[in-house]
Amino acid sequence: MDWIDSILAAAQPILVSGIVLASLYALMATGLALVWNTLGIFNFSHGVFMTLGAYIAWQFADARGYGLGLSIGIAISVAALAGLGVLFNRLLIAPFLGRKDIVLVAVMTTLAGAFFLENSALLTWGPRIKQLERILPGNIKLMGTAISLHEFLIIVLAPLVLLALWAFLKWTRPGSAIRAVGQNRDSALLLGIRVNAIYALTFAISAALAGGAGVLLGAIRFITPTMGTEPLLKAFIVVILGGLGSFGGTIVSAYLVGFMEAISTFFFGAYWTQAVMFGLFIVILVVLPRGLKGRD
Amino acid sequence: MTAPLLEVRALSTGYGRTPVLHDISIELGQHRRIGLIGPNGHGKTTLLRAISGLIAPWSGDILLGGTSIVGAQPAQIVAEGLVHVAQANALFPHMTVQENLRLGAYNKRARAKSDETLERVYELFPALRERRRQECRTLSGGERQMVSIGAALMAQPEILMLDEPTLGLSPKLKKELCSAIERICESGVPTIVVEQDINFMLRLTDYFYLINQGQVTAEFHADQSLDNRQIMDMYLGLD
Repeated sequence: MDWIDSILAAAQPILVSGIVLASLYALMATGLALVWNTLGIFNFSHGVFMTLGAYIAWQFADARGYGLGLSIGIAISVAALAGLGVLFNRLLIAPFLGRKDIVLVAVMTTLAGAFFLENSALLTWGPRIKQLERILPGNIKLMGTAISLHEFLIIVLAPLVLLALWAFLKWTRPGSAIRAVGQNRDSALLLGIRVNAIYALTFAISAALAGGAGVLLGAIRFITPTMGTEPLLKAFIVVILGGLGSFGGTIVSAYLVGFMEAISTFFFGAYWTQAVMFGLFIVILVVLPRGLKGRD
Repeated sequence: MTAPLLEVRALSTGYGRTPVLHDISIELGQHRRIGLIGPNGHGKTTLLRAISGLIAPWSGDILLGGTSIVGAQPAQIVAEGLVHVAQANALFPHMTVQENLRLGAYNKRARAKSDETLERVYELFPALRERRRQECRTLSGGERQMVSIGAALMAQPEILMLDEPTLGLSPKLKKELCSAIERICESGVPTIVVEQDINFMLRLTDYFYLINQGQVTAEFHADQSLDNRQIMDMYLGLD
């Protein structure tokens, strides 16, 4: 039974690499889903938010930038991304709110914003690839597979961040206001919730999550102006697969997609993985048109 | 002479380019419980939406305690104490009853008293206390309506606007809800009620306006000895 042995031997590295991917997707996808659930639009700038998060952290942290150290770089990056989220909402979304075709308009404005920022990143930082320093140096053995401590940190950090976000949405006033606005905008207005301020807050949180994911990814992959494109695509799959409107579904789906990608990469190679992913995506949506836990 | 609590002066508005209201004027002040009746689709809901700032007036003015609130954000209007319970309103379906009610006390003025008011709402609607941990989407139509009204009470209304609070309810639930609404009205909160049930309306209000084709076509004291038929005749334009 050689093939069983080989699958068992493969299972552990697949599990480990899947969980790292899944953690990053979960961070990206929750931000995307948060904006979708609250504003009812898909933000195509979400990937470039991730890219900028990595670049800004590099700019402040790296010796070839301002050399202020990694922690300052990360703090500034996440704060800057929150600010950028507010700005994007103000410039690209707020002027069009209330239009019937807002979903399509937002596709165009956020795509335009994404191209603008992507090329700005290219002009500002040039085409040479960069990499962030790892938050924790060194390696660790996890289930018999050696991974960097940085990747281990990603695995631990992502669920904690998501848990904190969940608690924020569940237990705080602004958090319940975010959920309320997403469920019934008019009623939220009639209860005195400042809906536009809630939209800005939602965008800030979402962009900060993307920026944070960029910081984490920028230390294990290279930072390029297009580094956010593929994670954005994956985040879309995750959100739609999880079911629009469901926070829990998004997280379950992120881990599912991460593992499927790791399995597919192992057996079919990276070259085929995109095709396999989209194939599975289509099959699942045929069987479950609303995704895993979709709402109306 | 003090200004009326709420005054709508020659208000015109509509949706897109379609006009709905034409030069409509109503007043809440001398009469503290007013009613709006009229056929469906003739502008009663639109009038309430304009007052609470959800749609902008094309012309005319809305004065709250003598000050114009045209152009104010809905949140500012709620903060002033003018609270609107929308028609057939499901509030926030994926949140629990208690979360929905707590959100009613979102404005600063209401927040401090929120525990106390929550207790009052549960006394008024005991069914909601039992179901406080249930998501709103699992409730019956009548219970949802109770949550909507409860959330409005949580906002500490100084004027309460109710848009067809008994729409589509079973007779038993309707009776229960009606008596709760009567208790709210009797507690002294000035109210504007839109209602199709004329008998209920006569019990609930002192004065009412008949709204037809986006205009006030008649107004009455509730104690004028009108009977149902006379009102129905006016309602249908037979008079």
